[in-house]
Amino acid sequence: MFETLGLMGQGFMNALHPVNLLAMTAGTTIGIVIGCLPGLSAAMGVALLLPMTFSMDASTGMIMLGAIYCGAIFGGSISAILIHTPGTPASAATAIEGYQMTLKGQAGKALGTACIASFFGGLLSCISLYFFAPILGQLAMKFGSPEYFWLSIFGLTIIAGVSSKSMVKGLMSGALGLLLSTIGMDQIEGVKRFMFGQSSLYEGINVTCALIGLFSMSQALILAEARIKERARAREFSDSMLLSRKELKTLAPTIGRSWIIGNLVGILPGAGASIACFMGYNTARQFSKHKELFGHGSYEGVAGSEAANNAVTGGSLIPMLTLGIPGESVTAVLMGGLIIQGLTPGPNLFLGETAKMTYTFFAGFVLIQFFMLGIGLLGCRGFAQIARLSDAILIPSVTILCVVGSFAIHQNFVDVVIMMIFGVIGYLSRKFGLNNAAIVLALILGPIGETGLRRSLELSEGDPSILFSTPVCWVLIVLCVLGVLSPFLMNRMTGGASDVEE
Amino acid sequence: MKKTDIGVCAVMYSVCLFFLTMTLQLPKAAQIYPLCIIVLLAALTTLHVINMVIAALRQGVTSGLEDFKDFLPAQFFPIFGMVMVYLALMPWVGFYLSSALFMLGALLFLRVKWWQILLAGIVLLALVYGAFTVFLGVRLPAGQLFS
Repeated sequence: MFETLGLMGQGFMNALHPVNLLAMTAGTTIGIVIGCLPGLSAAMGVALLLPMTFSMDASTGMIMLGAIYCGAIFGGSISAILIHTPGTPASAATAIEGYQMTLKGQAGKALGTACIASFFGGLLSCISLYFFAPILGQLAMKFGSPEYFWLSIFGLTIIAGVSSKSMVKGLMSGALGLLLSTIGMDQIEGVKRFMFGQSSLYEGINVTCALIGLFSMSQALILAEARIKERARAREFSDSMLLSRKELKTLAPTIGRSWIIGNLVGILPGAGASIACFMGYNTARQFSKHKELFGHGSYEGVAGSEAANNAVTGGSLIPMLTLGIPGESVTAVLMGGLIIQGLTPGPNLFLGETAKMTYTFFAGFVLIQFFMLGIGLLGCRGFAQIARLSDAILIPSVTILCVVGSFAIHQNFVDVVIMMIFGVIGYLSRKFGLNNAAIVLALILGPIGETGLRRSLELSEGDPSILFSTPVCWVLIVLCVLGVLSPFLMNRMTGGASDVEE
Repeated sequence: MKKTDIGVCAVMYSVCLFFLTMTLQLPKAAQIYPLCIIVLLAALTTLHVINMVIAALRQGVTSGLEDFKDFLPAQFFPIFGMVMVYLALMPWVGFYLSSALFMLGALLFLRVKWWQILLAGIVLLALVYGAFTVFLGVRLPAGQLFS
């Protein structure tokens, strides 16, 4: 207990280091810019800027990526409110009430509500991060090879099931990713597999290249296929962004409810901010004393949606950090960032020297919320102008950043080619209803599952009953079945309101 | 059922066949795991085929091209071609020159105003120089023609 408190205190001391504060400022600003640009997503932003963190200290790098994540989730609300175009899917519900408020001349109030709700949603989500992550981490320490095998299967079933319009296509994407994850040296038999004569594929496909290709390069291709449209000019606003004490008091229960919703949705692998925002919005409407305002510009609606989508951020880190199961695309990219830093997500993050890094990141995640509030309130007018940046400029810019980002990993041109191949795979997979998140998760989880399976079979001398030998295995098998059934549950929870989380 | 899904299934079966051919060339012990994954992918693709047939019988067949209604071939393919030329040029003329040429070509093609092309190019390349060359110390391709 005291040890944990000590680590928490030390984490804050480390997080307040000027380099970390600089990383928070830069990350939050970049994140908000990416978020408010319609067409660019949080996952894409984090993937694109992942190579920037290579030379940084692990905690600083993770703080920067976390800041981009939080900033992007909030940033989506700016374009949603001012130009009625959600910057990210997570702000789709915010656009409903936010733009109506803008039309009524209350854009400042809508943006202020979004800022404050996002701040409290994100800040409160840190509570669960602090308390649940170490508990789950301790549980994961009891896992052996069979449990890790089932854990990877669970991660795959739930993401493939939830995040695709067609569950079979989601599972097909996962299987394709698993097949691609077999490229490289077979660690147990010492045999080269499917390397096409490329020694750079010895350690398998570089996950960062795949991430940049699947999420960022594919997006540039998506932007390139459609007519370049002039974006609507962001409306000027002169009303105050600050809320009165009475208004804050009215919003408090809405933010509290959305925090719980967002946090639970975040912890559930497969669900994400785009689902949480609709759930938060619907709950705000259900409990509101002014239901008649909904659909005509209700600031409670904006708060419900924004607090929920930002509460997802802390919650979604829990399964990724403790079990190594990224529940959605952004956390998959963040997990890639951890792996690049030489850290293995899982219980080891809470042990010894690594625990200091983990708690510094947690403390940084708390501080990021304050930066998000400050930068958001001060910079909304400027960010609103950036939201108008044409896709014509974004297409070559994103392409160049993808190329330089993938090249920077090993300073090797083969990585650029791999990134481009994954860019094309990602583009085609999006066009034909497959699932990029499932492909990348399979690339990450495939080796974990393979090692778990083959080590288990080695231990049991080929007897597969070892995979069903412990109660934890059975719990995970039940969770896998629930994972496959989760689309039906999610549809019931959201009423089909939300769309695909990509 | 969408006709385009037939293509998706054909590609998946081809991937299975391609990896199967290579897997059979591996030593016996190393074949087991990839074979399991190939069987899984083939089984899921077959399940999708069955779903497609059922959907075709119940709801009929659509072309699937509705997903491509905003697709502009006259815009997409030239840009894609420029990306390929950009990647091919980079080892020869270096990162900065090839990027500047790509930026110029793509933005001119997309009819962006001159001052915006200039501004976007300078800002982006300065950003890359500051972040990657100076801060990260990445040695970006200098180009065989100039080295």
